[in-house]
Amino acid sequence: MIDEKMLVWRFNRGSKDALRRIYEKYKDGLLALALTLLRDRSLAEDVVHDVFVSFAATTGTFALSGTLKGYLSMCVANCARDRNRLKAGRDVGLEAAEVVDCDFDGPLESVARREESRRLDDLLACLPYEQREVVVLHLHHEMRFREIARSLGVSINTVQSRYRYGMDKLRSIFNSTVTK
Amino acid sequence: MKSTEDMEKFVADAKPHVTTGDAMDKRVLDDSFAAMDDTRAVIKPSAAATILASRAMRLAAAAVIIVVTGLLLVRDRHTPNQPAPQPTAQAPARMLSMMSLRTTYQRGGWDALDRQFRDTLNQFGLASSSLSMQQLLEGSNGS
Repeated sequence: MIDEKMLVWRFNRGSKDALRRIYEKYKDGLLALALTLLRDRSLAEDVVHDVFVSFAATTGTFALSGTLKGYLSMCVANCARDRNRLKAGRDVGLEAAEVVDCDFDGPLESVARREESRRLDDLLACLPYEQREVVVLHLHHEMRFREIARSLGVSINTVQSRYRYGMDKLRSIFNSTVTK
Repeated sequence: MKSTEDMEKFVADAKPHVTTGDAMDKRVLDDSFAAMDDTRAVIKPSAAATILASRAMRLAAAAVIIVVTGLLLVRDRHTPNQPAPQPTAQAPARMLSMMSLRTTYQRGGWDALDRQFRDTLNQFGLASSSLSMQQLLEGSNGS
């Protein structure tokens, strides 16, 4: 946490090394988030790119109120939502969606985990965007409901109900595929 | 069948791990640095930023703050106990001179004063200001 505060302080003083270290630290997690939300690698890369360029432009005035990871995750989620709205008009359905690629070390573990991730990706794709967003931010990025609600500009009850509906739906789909 | 807790664990564990490519890293960092430079060019350095920019200025600012704080503390400590300013006491030689002149004036008026000045000048000359108290008293006693 102190290291993060120091990075932000240096970033605000114009240190490019600090910006590079922030990017190196969070880039993979943010790309995974964008990819899970958008299911399109090039769109996800654009989102991460836009978020970091916007973040870099706040140097000198950036004030961190929570964690940097939470802040950047919410920026990615907001940007992904905008992209998703634009994409919605020309989307052709799940068949056109790109499967999330995963990079793991170790061949056997890699295959097993890649299969799990692919399965999860298919499940998440069945959720409405708002529910998928809350589930991923809460379970993959360890963000609290209160934090998500504040960033999305909705009440905490709304976030909790989206999460609950999302999890119920995931469980229902998962169980139905297992019993088939 | 999975419970909600199991489902949460499954979702958390199956978090996808992706890595960015070199091309993406380069594109993001180059554009971010450019955006950073643009912003820095617009921001005018504040007084605080100017002071903090150099080590010497930081030390000088710290020294000034310490000195000013010290002075304020010392002043605050002395102000409540300090008595109201009184008329300062005169030096003993000057007081004696004044008393002597007053007595002389009371006894003989301006003429007596004039005589005393003349006698003093005759006795001690123009160097009377450098005389000691004892010499002055000896002179006034007429010895």
